[in-house]
Amino acid sequence: MSETQATNQQAVIERVPGHSAMQLKDVAVSFNGRVAVRDATFDVAKNRVTSLIGPSGSGKTTLLRALNRLHDLTPGAKVSGQILLEGTDIYRGDVTVTELRTRVGMVFQRPNPFPTMSIYDNVVSGLRFNGIKKKALLDEAAETSLRSAALWDSVETRLKVAASNLSGGEQQRLCIARALAMDPEVLLMDEPTSALDPIATLKIEELMTTLKERVTIVIVTHNMQQAARISDDCAFLLMGEDRAGELIEFDTTEKIFNNPNDPRTLDYTLGRFG
Amino acid sequence: MNDLTQLDEPIEVAQSMREEIRRVSHSTRARRLLISRVMTILCALALAIAAVPLILLLWQLVQRGAPQLTGTFFTKVPATPSLLDPNATGGLSNAIIGSIALNIYAAVMAIPVGVLVGVFLAESTSKFASALRIIAQTMAGAPSILMGLFAFSFVLQDLHVGFSAIAGSFALAVLMLPVIIISTEIAVLNVPNTLREAGLALGAKPHKVSLRIVLPSALTGIVTGSILAISRAIGETAPVLLVIGGGYLNSWQPFNPVSALPLSIYENAKSPWPSQRAQVWGAALVLVAFVFVLSLTARIWASRKQKVNN
Repeated sequence: MSETQATNQQAVIERVPGHSAMQLKDVAVSFNGRVAVRDATFDVAKNRVTSLIGPSGSGKTTLLRALNRLHDLTPGAKVSGQILLEGTDIYRGDVTVTELRTRVGMVFQRPNPFPTMSIYDNVVSGLRFNGIKKKALLDEAAETSLRSAALWDSVETRLKVAASNLSGGEQQRLCIARALAMDPEVLLMDEPTSALDPIATLKIEELMTTLKERVTIVIVTHNMQQAARISDDCAFLLMGEDRAGELIEFDTTEKIFNNPNDPRTLDYTLGRFG
Repeated sequence: MNDLTQLDEPIEVAQSMREEIRRVSHSTRARRLLISRVMTILCALALAIAAVPLILLLWQLVQRGAPQLTGTFFTKVPATPSLLDPNATGGLSNAIIGSIALNIYAAVMAIPVGVLVGVFLAESTSKFASALRIIAQTMAGAPSILMGLFAFSFVLQDLHVGFSAIAGSFALAVLMLPVIIISTEIAVLNVPNTLREAGLALGAKPHKVSLRIVLPSALTGIVTGSILAISRAIGETAPVLLVIGGGYLNSWQPFNPVSALPLSIYENAKSPWPSQRAQVWGAALVLVAFVFVLSLTARIWASRKQKVNN
């Protein structure tokens, strides 16, 4: 274990010359004392796409949800180790959970636009929750975020229509726009295309590669081709013998898929298990 | 050659097996078809047995009630028949107004409290919440005369309010509460958790998530539950029997005695005058019409909800 960690550390040093958006140090998440994921130590580099891959039960989603403190509301959930956002510990530093979530946005597995709201109201909902009322400001934020999510052209004339009228792919891009409206530094994406067809998936993948210029992306994916196509860095997690997920290897996506340090990583990326 | 003879044998075995399977499955199918037919007939028979009393009841109600529904019935207060004029029953406008007033006041009292408690039960995991849930479920099954007794001792005796609409509304509100609480809790629990998480992930505070996301999403369920609570309360006699005073005047005033349709039915059914006993059917028909309209509204709301979800 310590050996893997050492190589991981080394990889971190070799890989990141610039700035990290988030840093994870020995992060573990447990529910009522049962460890779900542990040993997660890696840096999320700024303006890159970092993917978390691994078979079911390896703790990818659990780890992702620790990054915006979404476990806070789960009774019995405990996050240990350190998660730094721009150097500040998000669990112990002087950052409130609501502020953290405006800086670290999230897109979920299934498109979840608010069903009682229009397209427009969905996009600006986060701003409204945070007390912004000025119409001009909301209008501008709605347009820029819908443009960034490549949705503006198809919804421009029907902004007041209920969001549930959009197709699944459009709904997911609406959710991306909704998250972007808060102008987050980091965008967490939890298998954002698993409920979508291949064409809608492709659109979202294209979106991610353009979006990373303005927002750092961390994505959980079951689809290894997707991880290989879109991510710059890659964390491979695996369920240990005690059924707790752990970080096996972290490196550039190229290294993980072509020449990983750990034989288990190679087996997984070649589809030998999982 | 040798290979071929070896192949022949298994094919023959398979052939006889196939015949066996065909024969057995054929007889099984025939037996199942027979059972299915017998069961279908039994179901139809049960349906007929269940439907007959319902249809007879409805027929009686319309046949005897409809002739009672005259202008006088809706616009005049009750009169007392005499030997000179045995058909002078007057109307039941006091009871119709009373029933509407009682239920409006009761709904105004019960819906806000019930919805808030329901939301609390759905969102809280505390011991207090589970205790409250058990109380609500018990209250939902409690005999309705209990609400009347409670209103009598609390509103009339402790608060010294006289026989009045407000006392009856209080009893009906207590009756409505558990229905509203339980249906609100279910509606709120049915709101997908991913919507709550989406709100939280945008930096919304939990109370804003409840108010701006969860409640609007649960609204159709809450409205449906509230309408059903009213339609249950409007037909209740026992809770209002002891406390509304059975006023003979048209009154919307909360502190005046009022009558109610179920109470009029109860009183008039005991009357020695055939004309007053006949009037009961008119009151019953109006009451059933109220309940019908209310539950139809609830159904339309519920189907609207399904459309939104689809």
